[in-house]
Amino acid sequence: MSIVPKETIEVIAQSIGINNLSPDVALALAPDVEYRVREIMQEAIKCMRHSKRTTLTADDVDSALSLRNVEPIYGFASGDPLRFKRAVGHKDLFYIDDKDVEFKDVIDAPLPKAPLDTAVVAHWLAIEGVQPAIPENAPVEALVAPSDNKKPEHKEDGLPVDIKLPVKHVLSRELQLYFDKITELTVNKSDSVLFKEALQSLATDSGLHPLVPYFTYFVADEVTRGLNDFSLLFALMRVVRSLLQNPHIHIEPYLHQLMPSVITCLVAKRLGNRFSDNHWELRNFTADLVASICKRFGHVYHNLQPRVTRTLLHAFLDPTKALTQHYGAIQGLAALGPSVRLLLLPNLEPYLQLLEPEILLEKQKNEMKRHEAWRVYGALQCAAGKCMYDRLKMFPGLLAPPARAVSRTNGRVIMTTPNKRKAGKDDMMQQPPVKKIATDGPMGIVPPISLPANMQGTVDGFPAASGQSNLGPSSSVQVTNDSISGSSGKREDDGRAAKMLTVLSQAWKEDVDAGHLLASLFELFGESMFSFTPRPELSFFL
Amino acid sequence: MEDEEIEKMVIAYLKKKGFKQTELALQEEQSKSSFASQTDPDKQILSVTESESGPAQYQDGYSKLRSWTYSSLDLYKHELLRVLYPVFIHCFMDLVAKGHTQEARAFFNSFREDHELMHLRDLQKLEGVLSPSHLEEMEFAHSLRQSKISIKMCQYSYELLVQYLQKSQSITILGIINEHINFEVSPGQPSTISDDADVVTLLGSSQDTSKLINQKEIRWGLLEDSLEERLEKAGALMSDSEKPEGETKEGEVEENKKKSVDGGKQGASVKKLKKDKVVGTTGKSIRSETNIVSMAPRVKPELSLPEIPTEVEHSILEDLRNRVQLGSLALPSVSFYTFINTHNGLNCSSISHDGSLVAGGFSDSSVKVWDMSKIGQQSDTSIMQGENDSASIEHLMGPEDGKRSYTLFQGHAGPVYSVKFSPLGDFILSSSADSTIRLWSTKLNANLVCYKGHNYPVWDVQFSPVGHYFASSSHDRTARIWSMDRIQPLRIMAGHLSDVDCVQWHANCNYIATGSSDKTVRLWDVQSGECVRIFIGHRSMVLSLAMSPDGRYMTSGDEDGMIMMWDLSSGRCVTPLMGHTSCVWTLAFSREGSLLASGSADCTVKLWDVTASTKVARTEENKSGAMNRLRSLKTLPTRSTPVYTLQFSRRNLLFAAGVLSKGV
Repeated sequence: MSIVPKETIEVIAQSIGINNLSPDVALALAPDVEYRVREIMQEAIKCMRHSKRTTLTADDVDSALSLRNVEPIYGFASGDPLRFKRAVGHKDLFYIDDKDVEFKDVIDAPLPKAPLDTAVVAHWLAIEGVQPAIPENAPVEALVAPSDNKKPEHKEDGLPVDIKLPVKHVLSRELQLYFDKITELTVNKSDSVLFKEALQSLATDSGLHPLVPYFTYFVADEVTRGLNDFSLLFALMRVVRSLLQNPHIHIEPYLHQLMPSVITCLVAKRLGNRFSDNHWELRNFTADLVASICKRFGHVYHNLQPRVTRTLLHAFLDPTKALTQHYGAIQGLAALGPSVRLLLLPNLEPYLQLLEPEILLEKQKNEMKRHEAWRVYGALQCAAGKCMYDRLKMFPGLLAPPARAVSRTNGRVIMTTPNKRKAGKDDMMQQPPVKKIATDGPMGIVPPISLPANMQGTVDGFPAASGQSNLGPSSSVQVTNDSISGSSGKREDDGRAAKMLTVLSQAWKEDVDAGHLLASLFELFGESMFSFTPRPELSFFL
Repeated sequence: MEDEEIEKMVIAYLKKKGFKQTELALQEEQSKSSFASQTDPDKQILSVTESESGPAQYQDGYSKLRSWTYSSLDLYKHELLRVLYPVFIHCFMDLVAKGHTQEARAFFNSFREDHELMHLRDLQKLEGVLSPSHLEEMEFAHSLRQSKISIKMCQYSYELLVQYLQKSQSITILGIINEHINFEVSPGQPSTISDDADVVTLLGSSQDTSKLINQKEIRWGLLEDSLEERLEKAGALMSDSEKPEGETKEGEVEENKKKSVDGGKQGASVKKLKKDKVVGTTGKSIRSETNIVSMAPRVKPELSLPEIPTEVEHSILEDLRNRVQLGSLALPSVSFYTFINTHNGLNCSSISHDGSLVAGGFSDSSVKVWDMSKIGQQSDTSIMQGENDSASIEHLMGPEDGKRSYTLFQGHAGPVYSVKFSPLGDFILSSSADSTIRLWSTKLNANLVCYKGHNYPVWDVQFSPVGHYFASSSHDRTARIWSMDRIQPLRIMAGHLSDVDCVQWHANCNYIATGSSDKTVRLWDVQSGECVRIFIGHRSMVLSLAMSPDGRYMTSGDEDGMIMMWDLSSGRCVTPLMGHTSCVWTLAFSREGSLLASGSADCTVKLWDVTASTKVARTEENKSGAMNRLRSLKTLPTRSTPVYTLQFSRRNLLFAAGVLSKGV
């Protein structure tokens, strides 16, 4: 049977004024209609091919109709292919979305821009079979050599490369225009769709390399000038991220210029000038950015990560700095990875002590300040939680001794040895799924009711913290010995960045530490810490 | 047994003596006699058929045959599978012809999937056929029903099939097989699967005729006295002015006569004609045998060719001297011209031989020509140049717009489907949906002639390699040959079963090739207007053609992205080139013929190594006839720009053009 049902024919007949069409006629016409439609489509496809297109347009159908000496259908002339929508509930029914247009809107709308005239531009698709990495060409998979960009010029004039002339940097007109456009977008229209596409282009286009110094300068300049323009800062950080993503750009030489501006956006005292600006988000974004930079270029710049860490730690440990700065530093440190995160721990207690008056309603009357303090608290908690999670991940089977320590059995070394051996063998084997709750922000956190009384008020953190003995004071007083060795062991560890797995004795100390850690963190943060604990361990612990 | 032995001995004797014709004749006789004996039993069965044939019988019979075929021996399966498709479509058409529309549709849908892979486009065409009158009207179906399909199979497969048909008593199917299939039974092992290509395309005329056509002699060599040759000679000895121009063929005398008649008719330059004659007579010297070792044979032009002005000749010779030798190790540089802001309007483009001019044909019936050298200058030195130019460009610019970067040619009354530059770049031909071809001068920026002759849109137009003559192809299923000074066509080539989509001249101007929507490529003799080759193998509409500069090979690209390379003399496919995923819009051989470039709608330019593959193919052709894949050297992706045109300059720089399209 024909795909055109006879009802369709009847409807069409009615629409042109034939009301008494007999069903037989409709039935006979239906197959013929289908055949004619197919015939027209066959011709239309020919016209499409000869117009060197792969999408059928209304024009093609019109040409096909005129080929068959049929009056074309009017009202569908459009240069672009029609966009069909699928009818809801029907598998193969499509329609063209025809919106109602308000007459007033049409009148009020500004005149559309005149369409640009057709033009021809030339470029080299390949030079002796090699595709130059210029923006006009499709991006190549990966840059073969960093100097790839300059190859075409050399080949073109055929001069040997070893003649070193004073470099006169010439930017092509297109690149200049591109740069102007991007910077303008960044400064003025960073929330437009266009800016998103610009970021996309920055992240993927080849041939942008000559612009990198200009972009770094632009970013640095704008950051220093526009510290209270929140959206600008965010846009700039996005630009930086896109540049970092671009596989065709060799950005290492410019990192040292970029880093200060990025760090600024992380730990600056004020970002943006309005309360509504969500500078926390910007700090989080930048923290991730910093972490990704360190991860990617850490092996090239050996001192990159230590320098960043030092800067952030200083910000964190300086009690005179604003809470926002602390927040940024904590986020930055937390994002840098497990080994850096641990640096936060020794300073947790003193810091919390410092933070306490800011958090409590009765002591801090300023709503804004309190909010900030809560934020910092949240960030700290999150970082500490991650810390513990890392630890637990490393030693999945080793919760028993600290659990006992918590239950005041004074868990001793001997009991844990078998366990430890086992862990040494199958550590990292199975990692339980994480249930992670967004602990960012003050909501849903049980405030610590009482902070341990035997806390020492050592304010000055890191350098002095080595002598600190109250890391794991949780419940048993006589555990100090252990915890001292534990904390010192841990510190060594941090210094050497994750070599603890190899050394058994240290690993053992680690275990204890992990258990104590959980306990102490529980003490510090209350039950919310459990959300970071993998479930099996948690149940064990409880 | 004795008979066979005697025959063998006779054949061996004939071979030894080199009596080829006799040998062939003998073999033909033999095959005929054996064929007759084999078809005998069928005839008996045929008489039984047509007794009862309800619609259910078709469905039933076909599904039985199908399941039998699928469960047959692996070794013979692929040969037997070939029978299924013709049986399938004829069953369907029989059902339609008898008016069982509903059953026909049901039958079609139930088995359609089996054949979709190989015959998708044919099925789509047939799908719409729903009444007996459609069968009559649609040429494709009509020609199918008129003709017989040849299927090659080995002795044993044939016996298997006959046995099955006799046993199963499905008379309907037997009737169809008898009526529409012609078995070519060959003794020995079943053929390899790769030979399938011959069977795929169902031709209107029977395949025998195409085979007959393909046996005609073809002189595919290069023109004698070409500039390349002159250059070589200049490099060698200058003294011998009487040097032979190349190999001369036996048929040359007749050709010369023909040409002299023709020349008078054309009214072309008498001087040139004389010169040709002189060359023809002097060329008869005995030394011709010496320098043809690897060179392509030289042939006389059948058309009187226009004379090349001396200064142009000098520039060509200069270019030839500076030509870059391309090969698998030395790939060409590609200069890409991107059309921007075309608003989906560009239908075709062309690049002059030196890349200085770029023309585009638009769906708004205009032709626009860009002078690339001028565009470059303007960006360098703006104001000085502008003042000088303004006087000369002024008359080209429209009254309302003073800043056009191109020359606008208006005159057509429908979308322009093809534009081509003449070999010297001084003329442009454009063909349009208004069924006319127009000749424009790039020097005067004006329309010179409007050629009317086609009745339907003219899809393609192509200048001959020496200019003056051009060929066009149209929806009216003809290709026509024209000369610039006549408004009537000189020759009309008719024979394709569907639109003629593209046309291309042979390097020696004696032949044109046409590609068509009937999935064949044909080669036509320009002088006689006869079809001399039919190339079967494409599975969809042929979109582009290119001739190798040595005149030996031709490539054709189709809608599915398949490129096929043909040997003109044998009419067989040398290699199919797979790689493109969408329409191949354009093909181009490098000037010395070592590389093939192809441009496609999948936004890539691919470079293929021609020399390696053809050499291998030539040696191996004799042994096993196995297919070799042509080596793809390089794929150059463009930035979402489908490639419309490719053109090698005389110095072997590759120019490409395409439209930047966002949505792709």
